[in-house]
Amino acid sequence: MNNLELSIKEIHSRLVNKEITPLDLVEECYEKIEAGNHLNSFITLNKSEAMEYAKELSSQEVETDNLLWGIPIAIKDNISTKDIRTTCASKMLENYIPIYDATVIEKIKKQKMIIIGKTNMDEFAMGSTSRTSYFGSPKNPVDPTKITGGSSGGSAACVAGGLVPLSLGSDTGGSIRQPASYTGIVGMKPTYGRVSRYGLIAFGSSLDQIGPMTRNVYENALLLNTLVGKDHRDLTSAEKEIEDFTRLIGQEVKGMKIAIPKYFVSDIVSPVIIEKLNHVVELLKANDNTVDYIDMKYLDQAVTLYQIIAMGEASSNLARFDGVKFGYRSESSSTVEEMYENTRGEGFGKEVKRRIMVGSYLLSGDNAKTYYDKALMIRNAMKKEFDKVFKEYDFILGPTTTTVAYRLDENLDDPTKSFMDDVLVIPVNMAGLPGMSIPMGKDQENMPIGLHIIGNRFEEAKMYQLAYDLENKLK
Amino acid sequence: MNDYKTTVGIEVHCELKTNAKMFSNSLNNYGGVANVNINEIDFALPGTLPTINQYGVELGIKAALVLNCTINKKVVFDRKNYFYPDLPKGYQITQARNPIGVNGYVEIEVDGKKKKIGIHDIHLEEDTCKSTHADTKSYLDFNRNGVPLLEIVSEADMNSPEEAMAYLEKLKELLLYANISDCKMEEGSMRCDVNVSVSKTDKLGTRTETKNIGSISSVGRAITSEAARQIQELEQENEIHEETRRFDEKQERTILMRVKETGNDYRYFPEPDLPPYYIDETYIDEVRKTIDVMPDKRRSIYLEKGISLVNANKLIQNKPLSDFLLGLEDIDLVIASNLLLGDISSYLNKTEKKITETSLTQAKLREVVMLLKENKITNKVFKDILVDLMETDLGISEIIEKKGIKTISDESALLDVITKVIEANPESVKDYHEGKDRAIKYLMGQIMKETKGQANPALVNQLLQQELAK
Repeated sequence: MNNLELSIKEIHSRLVNKEITPLDLVEECYEKIEAGNHLNSFITLNKSEAMEYAKELSSQEVETDNLLWGIPIAIKDNISTKDIRTTCASKMLENYIPIYDATVIEKIKKQKMIIIGKTNMDEFAMGSTSRTSYFGSPKNPVDPTKITGGSSGGSAACVAGGLVPLSLGSDTGGSIRQPASYTGIVGMKPTYGRVSRYGLIAFGSSLDQIGPMTRNVYENALLLNTLVGKDHRDLTSAEKEIEDFTRLIGQEVKGMKIAIPKYFVSDIVSPVIIEKLNHVVELLKANDNTVDYIDMKYLDQAVTLYQIIAMGEASSNLARFDGVKFGYRSESSSTVEEMYENTRGEGFGKEVKRRIMVGSYLLSGDNAKTYYDKALMIRNAMKKEFDKVFKEYDFILGPTTTTVAYRLDENLDDPTKSFMDDVLVIPVNMAGLPGMSIPMGKDQENMPIGLHIIGNRFEEAKMYQLAYDLENKLK
Repeated sequence: MNDYKTTVGIEVHCELKTNAKMFSNSLNNYGGVANVNINEIDFALPGTLPTINQYGVELGIKAALVLNCTINKKVVFDRKNYFYPDLPKGYQITQARNPIGVNGYVEIEVDGKKKKIGIHDIHLEEDTCKSTHADTKSYLDFNRNGVPLLEIVSEADMNSPEEAMAYLEKLKELLLYANISDCKMEEGSMRCDVNVSVSKTDKLGTRTETKNIGSISSVGRAITSEAARQIQELEQENEIHEETRRFDEKQERTILMRVKETGNDYRYFPEPDLPPYYIDETYIDEVRKTIDVMPDKRRSIYLEKGISLVNANKLIQNKPLSDFLLGLEDIDLVIASNLLLGDISSYLNKTEKKITETSLTQAKLREVVMLLKENKITNKVFKDILVDLMETDLGISEIIEKKGIKTISDESALLDVITKVIEANPESVKDYHEGKDRAIKYLMGQIMKETKGQANPALVNQLLQQELAK
């Protein structure tokens, strides 16, 4: 029984032909997860509910026009799921069970997909290795001694490890694309506003976006079809006409103009990664596409901007975890102030506390003007810089990461190192652009290397066209 | 000690009359059973997002218009961050950087002197939970959390308790008349914080803030006592400290709550969940059209129409009655206001009804006023038909007929009575002819008695004189 290794299209045709039922798929998921090495990719399994729902679906007619009908999916544990524990990988929410579904969860349920469980991540999505999780680190399926990347590490690992075909991640500064790159899968961070954030537990509200993580480009586009749309509950979601993100897939990429910022191929990137990128450039050129290496301002500022904006917003977003209403509460306090201090002191992990403190400092008094306001100005300038490039070019390419996934015990002593893991992907969040990572090869030790494709706002379909073309050529 | 000048600035919070809360769609209604008007957004559950109540913004614009503010066409919100159990999100959504209205004023009049009190800004925000404390426990009512608030920040333009009270009365009147807020201080839908300082020179003294004063008259008393306290301190060569105080009604003095921490740090930043948007002139004009006739305009109409200042003010203070007169400006407003403030008000008080809950229509009031003015009915008749007027849909003539009241205004019927009375009282007739004034009053009385007060006195007088002259 290896149905989960098939493509979604093949699984669907087996479902339609009644060769298998959704229950077979769900059982196979849990067998694989329980077989031992589930890579610590899940924090909570939704087994009994998923089995029950799969049984219910198995007695129904297959929706022949719905490729995602009865397909198992894993959800990052910072997306609110009604009646399923949602922890954000934090002690603070260890026992928190939401009373409502995030908008994307409603959409997934409407599509009759089956939620297998909630995936491991960096605590409150703060990190780039998933090692800040209260529940321990997930492991890279390619080499379990290596990190998965983060913060959507569990969502990457369960797909890369073949435990589920699809998962949802979230990306504030690379948290979908970077783990996708480290584990060798496809991850898309859509345009800011493309997918409703209602129910996504906020980290950096002006940067956060939910997106699909899948085994291949086509299935990524297919899952994005389900997630998008204006949501009256999220005023930052965009009003856009319904489109099929798979519609350009299969069309040849010819005569397109592609830019590679020189910063993305500078000496901060490992030579082996540059080598793979050069190969991609050759493939593109061979098909009559132009590739130019360009100068772009502000790219080297992205990490600093991220630290100011994301942490500033996070310091406010995480204020609601105070022990008053839900989540962890420290019992050993005699005053309200003490209760706050103890609850937050005990409930949050080190990295989260570090970021809350930095964020609070950055917004305090005159610092708001010195840092936050200035960061917003530079962010705006960066946005315009991207707009300028997209007036002339169809895509911006580069590597997703500067190195491949490193060892789980590496770089633990330097909290600033983890930001550098995202140095190439953060600018996309700053500018609100769509960005995706697809595998473009492996290094000598077989560790995956990701290609980062940046598109203009709301041009995800065109990105999938390029990604699919390259996916085939790189096989 | 009289050479000290008192300076007062006031911050007013008032609740907006919207159906829903400011940033969620649960009901704006508290005071009843606790924690019923609450959803996941009000409870600040992780992952929830605020939305904007457009009607709340509309009321903000309306307030900006009636308070003569410049309207900020960019609608944008900020987060004010602080920890307190009544603040579920750990921040309040407010407008710190771009308030909806700035640079406004209201005009007040004290002792016949007019003065403009500047309004620094008005901004939209959300209320917090209501907390109550009992024994060692504290309780939160989330019904109030998220209720739309308008904060009105005055300039330090007031120099006496009287001016402060006049300012608040005026503010209340304007907000009430524009249907922006109920402005009930006793129920907390309008709350005041008063900043007071005293100084002998042009340089303002150090100010203190007295919070949450319960009524407008208390505001006056709080200012009087706080200014006196500050003067006493200064006379004893003590310093005044920036501090927050409260007014103790019984002791008639302000009491220290806490010393202000320097640079209280709310870590304001733009609310990333609510993207800024722009409003245009057309929209502002539409909002302007929804504003009722303001009290000053009404007052001047009343005075022009001969209503006394006292009655004019009584009408203004009773908005439903004043509203009832809108569109009736062409009738005799003196008669109409006497009816509304007299018998009709008594009826409403007795039955605990609002005028809009009765069967009295503007058309009926118009008719009654005409009949009274033309002496076709008497005040006595009006009193007799009042209950039917208020409680049935019958027309005035139908009521009169139903109750068997003869509005004796046709001359022949009256003449019969007059002749009868004259015949029955020859003595009085004789007295009349001898020039005794008493006699005609007596005869009038007899006729009115015969007609059960239903006869038109002016007409009776005229006909009686005419008959006696025969």
